[in-house]
Amino acid sequence: MSQPGKVDRQPGYVLHTQAYRETSLLVDVLTRDHGRLVLVARGARRPKAELRGVLLPFHPLLLAWFGKGEVRTLHSADWQGGLPQLSGRPLLCGFYFNELLMRLTAREDPLPALYPLYGEALQGLAGAADLGSVVRRFEMGLVRALGYSPLLSQDAAGRPIEPARHYFCRPGEAPDADAPPAAVRGVWLSGATLQALADDDYTLASTQREARSLTRLLLAELLDGTPLMTPRLLEAGAGALSLTTGWPKAADPSTE
Amino acid sequence: MKNPPSLDQLIAALKVLPGVGPKSAQRMAFHLLQRDQAGALKLARAIGQALENLQHCERCNTFSETALCNLCADASRRQDQLCVVEMPADLMTMEQAQCFEGLYFVLMGRVSPMDGIGPRDVHLDRLLNRALDGQVEEVILATNFTAEGELTANMITELLRSRGLRVSRIARGMPVGGEVEYVDLGTLAQSLYERRTLSE
Repeated sequence: MSQPGKVDRQPGYVLHTQAYRETSLLVDVLTRDHGRLVLVARGARRPKAELRGVLLPFHPLLLAWFGKGEVRTLHSADWQGGLPQLSGRPLLCGFYFNELLMRLTAREDPLPALYPLYGEALQGLAGAADLGSVVRRFEMGLVRALGYSPLLSQDAAGRPIEPARHYFCRPGEAPDADAPPAAVRGVWLSGATLQALADDDYTLASTQREARSLTRLLLAELLDGTPLMTPRLLEAGAGALSLTTGWPKAADPSTE
Repeated sequence: MKNPPSLDQLIAALKVLPGVGPKSAQRMAFHLLQRDQAGALKLARAIGQALENLQHCERCNTFSETALCNLCADASRRQDQLCVVEMPADLMTMEQAQCFEGLYFVLMGRVSPMDGIGPRDVHLDRLLNRALDGQVEEVILATNFTAEGELTANMITELLRSRGLRVSRIARGMPVGGEVEYVDLGTLAQSLYERRTLSE
């Protein structure tokens, strides 16, 4: 018997779960071919539910679901493995990625670049890779995947980027070697950084630092003034507890 | 036709319960009023009494009718170990397991950035004060092994690190009596990642 809207063996990740009714769970998932969607996992909160140890964020799963409408019904979720559970600062970065995806992607909008980008970012978080570059690469990749990629190969006058010069960058405009006429929001980046970003190369500390100011600007534009909870909340908590070290700064959970 | 105002008020009041929408609230209201008035009265009194009598224990933050709950007032418990759990139900389960003789701190939730629940909402400031009372030497984190529970444990660790306290986390892995063949794959994988060395 075939069910309407049945999708089988679809790779995906859990982004967020929330309790639903007595024993069920509403799960936001990011899937490879169907984008982000909401599934209801029936009985997933029962004490002995098998799904309990499977529907965890930051883990590759194989999902099957059926149904029509906004919320589909999860049929099965199979563990794919390969990643240890995140903890510490990488876990915080994982929440940051998930919040970005929840806020910036539309439901059921399959963005082909997003799934591998997220998978690689999680690999980076789980491995010993340098967090700054993992976070920057994900942020830039997300902006690109959403179609807001800044022009990085030539300046506003159509000339190629020169590594030694500095360029004024702002959302929706090409890098400009000349200062803008009026006070507009933007950041100055070196040509070398622009070239590194075009090559997706974040090995240099200067690239990471300058890229951070750019991604912060681009994401703030996309988030339309409503800040993310992950960085803000944790910072607020840290302030309230009068802590001085080891807590994330605003809008960047990757900094030490 | 409109409902009488007191009926509407009751329905609206029942909707505060999690998972109860307008339809369920209406069904509950009709049941209470039509089929079980004695039960309704009992419920009303119980809610009133609980609201009036219950407070948070000033040491462990769990629900208590006295300023200090039974456990915290029990001088025979070990004073140097503090176990941090998310909810009072977790505390009850820990007690049933009869494995711990120290005292508790109940967060009444977990840090969950995606739901807007931050460190203040789970009383980490109070936990800090409690843990630094001079008697506590070890803080045992027994928050859930969900992403949010793990995040909460990480935040508490960062908070207590460098304050001269031993911070430990309950272990994660194979269940007692578990068989490798039947255990769920995530648990098995993690038990391998977190394996213990038995001999060098």
